[in-house]
Amino acid sequence: MIFGPKARLIVVLCLFTNAALAESQPVWGLLPLMQSLAQVRTASARFTERQTAPVLSAPLISTGTLTYAAPDYLRKTTLTPVPEIFTLDHGKVTLTGSPSGGTHVFALDQDPRIAGLVEGIRATLAGDLPALDRFYTVSLTGSAAGWQLHLLPKDPSLARFLRSITISGSQDRIATIDTESSDGSNSMMRIQPGSVNDAP
Amino acid sequence: MRPKILALGLWLLVLAACGVIAGRTSYRTDMGDFLPHSASLAQEVLAGQVNGGAASHIVLLAISGAPTPVLASLSQSLAARLRQEPVFLDVINGDEQSFAGAQNYVWHNRYLLSPDIAPASFSVSGLHGALTNDLALLGSELGLAMGQSLANDPTGEMLRLLDRFDNGTGPAKQDGVWTAPDGRAALLLLHTAAPGFDLDAQQQALASVSDNFARARSTTPGAGSAYLQMSGPGVFATHIRDATKQDVTRLSLLAVLGAAGLLAFAYRSPRVVLLGLLPIASGALAAIAAVSLAFGFVHGITLGFGVTLIGESLDYAIYLFTQTGRGEQASDTLRRIWPTLRLGALTSIAGFSAMLFSSFTGFAQLGLFSIIGLIGAAATTRFLLPHFVPSGFFAGGAEPIAWPLHRLIRHKRVARGALVAALLASLLALSTHRGGMWDNNLLDLSPIPAAAQQLDRNLRHALGVPDERYFIVFKAANAQEALQESEALTPTLNRLVAAHRLGGFTLPSAILPSEKTQRQHQVALPDATTLQENFVQAAAGLPFNVQAFASFFADVAAQKAAPLLIPANLPPALALQFDSLLVRHGADWVVMAPLRDVIDPSGVAHALVAAGPPDLAFVDLNQESDRLLRNFQSQAVVLAVAGSLAILLVLSAGLRAPFRVLAVAAPLAAAVTMTSAVLTLGGAKLSIFMVAGFLLIVAIGSNYCLFFERSAPGTPGWPRAMASIMLANLCTVGAYGLLSFSRIPVLHDIGLTVAIGTFLSLLCGAVLSTPAVKEIR
Repeated sequence: MIFGPKARLIVVLCLFTNAALAESQPVWGLLPLMQSLAQVRTASARFTERQTAPVLSAPLISTGTLTYAAPDYLRKTTLTPVPEIFTLDHGKVTLTGSPSGGTHVFALDQDPRIAGLVEGIRATLAGDLPALDRFYTVSLTGSAAGWQLHLLPKDPSLARFLRSITISGSQDRIATIDTESSDGSNSMMRIQPGSVNDAP
Repeated sequence: MRPKILALGLWLLVLAACGVIAGRTSYRTDMGDFLPHSASLAQEVLAGQVNGGAASHIVLLAISGAPTPVLASLSQSLAARLRQEPVFLDVINGDEQSFAGAQNYVWHNRYLLSPDIAPASFSVSGLHGALTNDLALLGSELGLAMGQSLANDPTGEMLRLLDRFDNGTGPAKQDGVWTAPDGRAALLLLHTAAPGFDLDAQQQALASVSDNFARARSTTPGAGSAYLQMSGPGVFATHIRDATKQDVTRLSLLAVLGAAGLLAFAYRSPRVVLLGLLPIASGALAAIAAVSLAFGFVHGITLGFGVTLIGESLDYAIYLFTQTGRGEQASDTLRRIWPTLRLGALTSIAGFSAMLFSSFTGFAQLGLFSIIGLIGAAATTRFLLPHFVPSGFFAGGAEPIAWPLHRLIRHKRVARGALVAALLASLLALSTHRGGMWDNNLLDLSPIPAAAQQLDRNLRHALGVPDERYFIVFKAANAQEALQESEALTPTLNRLVAAHRLGGFTLPSAILPSEKTQRQHQVALPDATTLQENFVQAAAGLPFNVQAFASFFADVAAQKAAPLLIPANLPPALALQFDSLLVRHGADWVVMAPLRDVIDPSGVAHALVAAGPPDLAFVDLNQESDRLLRNFQSQAVVLAVAGSLAILLVLSAGLRAPFRVLAVAAPLAAAVTMTSAVLTLGGAKLSIFMVAGFLLIVAIGSNYCLFFERSAPGTPGWPRAMASIMLANLCTVGAYGLLSFSRIPVLHDIGLTVAIGTFLSLLCGAVLSTPAVKEIR
C-alpha cells in the first residue's frame, strides 16, 4: 500500500471537489475573455485619443477610425489634426499619408519596442494570449460587463520606454486603451463602436 | 668510381640549390592566382573578394534540437560569450546589442550621413513641415515609440537613414533572437576578425565557437539535446584542409605500404625499394624550384596535383630494377632500356608541354612542374641510380607477378576480338550518350561536400544573407573620387528601385559619404542662434514645447563643428562592409557595389552605364563564372588535343616507322576511349580534372606500350620486361585507385580516371602493341 487510509480519503475528497467545481458555471476570467475576443472576425470604430508628452506643450487630441480584421490586420487612420495612416498587415507596418513624411515600412520584429507596442493591441484584439504572454505579464480585473486588462512589459528594452498598457472593455468590446510610457508620455484612447466605411 | 662521385656530387649540388629555392618560395592558395592573366578587372577584384572580402569573414550558425525558448537563451548565452572573444568583430543573433554599433554610429552622425541635409531643411518653413509631420507620427499607433526620439531628431533623419540602411528583411525573431521561421533553430551571424583564407585563425575562431557553445549548453537548463551547425567560407576552407590532409595522409600511407610491400616482395631488398623513390623526389624538388623561379610563387594546387602528374617517374626505377637480369650490371640494363625510357619520358613531356601555353596560370604552372619534374626524375634514373644498385642485385620475386600478362598475350587473338568489341561498344555508348558529358556546375568542382553546400544555402536563405549576383564595378583615382562617383549614382539607383526594376543596393557612400558631401552638410546646418530662432517661429501655432528640443540644438551644433568622418570612425561591422565596397586595387580604388533583387538586368545595366563613370561595368557573377568555366573547359580540351598531337609527333620522331607509331598510339587511344565510356556510363560527368587524367593515362600508358612494342615474346629479356610493366601497373592502379576513395572531388576524379585508364592501357598495350612471335624470330 502506497497510501494510508487517511491520505486516500484526502485524494478522494479532492477528486470530489474538483468534479463539483467542474459541474458549476464556468468562471469568467482571462481565458474566456480571450476566447470571446477571438470570436470577433472584423471590427471597426471611431476613436478619440488624448496624448501628453514632454515635447508637447498642450495635450494632442487626435481623432480617426480603427479597422481590424482577424488575426493580423489593423489600420489606424488618423484624420485630425494631421492625417496619417498606420497599417499593420502580416507583421509588416506601413506609415503613410502625412503631408511631408513620405512612406515608411518596418518589419514588426525589427524593433522590440515597435513589436511590443503593436502586439499589445493586436494580440488583445485577436484574443491571442500566447502572443500577449510573450511580451507582457497579463492580469485581469473587473467582470465580464466591465473588465480591465493590465499589460506589464517583460522585455527589458520594451520596459525601458513603456510602463504599461491598460485596456478596458465590456464583453467582447474594447472601450479604452491607456498607454503609459516611462518618459512621462501618456496616451488615452476612447473607442466608440460604430460602422466605419473603411473595410480592408 | 670517378663517374659515380661526379654524378653524386652534381646531384647533391643541384638538389641543394633546388632545396634552397623551394625553401624561399611563397606558396599561394588564392583561386585568383589560378585564373588567367587576362581576367577582367571585375573578375580579379571579385576573386580577391572571395578570398579576403567581407563575405569571407562570415560564419553562419544554427542551434537546433531544443524548444524555441531554450534555443533563444542558448543563443543569448553563446552570443554574450562570443562577444568577449577578440577573434570576432561582430556577433549578431538578432538581439538589441547585435546592431548597437551600427545604430550608434548612424545616430551620432545623422546630420553628416542623412541624404537630405540642405539649408532648406532648417529654414522656418522646412522645420514647420517637419514638426507637422511629427504631429502626424505622434498620432499614429507608433506615437509613443516615435515620441522618444522626437526631442533629438524632429527632422526625422533617423527614419530616413533606417529606410536606407535596411538591407532586405532579416530572419524572423522569436523570444528576442533570430530564429528559423518554424522556430526550430536559433540563427546567428558572426564576422571573424581574420579573413577566410587565414586558415589557422579561422580554425581558432571555429574552435572558440564550439567551446563556447559547449559551455553555454552546459549552463542553460534543458539544452542538453541542442546541437550546433556551422557554415561559411572559413568553415569550408578549414574543412577542406582537414579532409585533404586526412585523405592524403591516410590514402598515401596505404598506397606507400601496398607498393612498398609489393616491391619488397619483387626486389627482395628494402634498400632498392627506397632507392626507387629517389627519381620522383628529386624531380619534384627540381620542379618546385623551376616553377618558383619562373612564376615567382607556387600555387598550392600545382604542388598537390603536380606530384600526381609526375607519378610515372616512380615507374622509371621499377623498369630499371626489374629488367636487370641475373648477373647483369644495373648500368648495362640502363644502357639497354634507356632509349625506350627516354622516348617514354619525352612522350609525356610533349603531352604536358601544351599546358605551358595555357592562359590559366595554374595550368601553365602544372605544365612546367611536370616537364621539369620528369626531366629531373629521368636524369636521376639515368645518371645516379645505376651507381647505387647493389652489385649482383636481382629482383627475384618479380617474374611470377607477370603471369596474368603471359596468359593474356598467349590468348591474344581472342583478347583482340574482345577488345575490338568493347571499343565498339564504348564508341556506341559515347555517341548515343544524351544530356551532355560535361559537368557544367561549377559547384561540383568545389571540394565541399554536397550536404555542406546545402546546409550553407539553407542557412544563408534563413539568415537573409543576400545572394550577391549582380554588382556595379568602377574605378577611381582615389577614395574620395570613388565616393563622389558613388554618390552621383545614388539618384539613378533610387529611381530604379522606385520603378521596381531593382530591389535595393549598397553603396560605400551610404556608409561613409565623401568629404565633399560631409562639408556641404556642415555648411547647410545653421548656427545655434539661427536654428533656435527658426525653430521658435516654425513651432508657432503647433502644440510643441520648444524647451524640450534643447538636445536637438546641441546635436546640430556639435555635428556642424565635428571633424569629418573617416574610415577609422566606422564600427567594426560597418568597416568590414565598407572595405569590401571600396577596394584598393593597385594604384586605383575600385567601387564594387552589390545590387539586390535585380528584376530587369539589361534595363538596369543600361541605365547605370549611361549614368555612371565611363568605365562602369554591370557584372553578373553567374555569367562571369559560367564564362570562366567554359573557358576552362575549352582550354582543357585544346590542351588535351594539342598534347596528343605533340605525343604523336614525338613517337613518330622516335619510332620512325608509321606502323610502329600506330602500334603504340592505337592502344592508348582505345584505352582513353573506353575509360571515358566507363566513366560516362557510371554516371560521372566529365570534369577538367578528368581531362588532365586522360593526359596522365597517355603519359603512363605510353611507357607500357613502348616496352610491349620493343620486346617480342620469347626473346631473352621478355619475361623481365613483362614483369616490370606488370609491377609498374600494379603500383599505379593501386595508388590511383586508393585516391579515388578521397572525398575531395579533384583527387577522386583524377584517381578514378587514372586507375581505370592505366589498367586498360595495360590490357590494350599487351594485346595490341606486342609484336607477333613469328615476325621477330
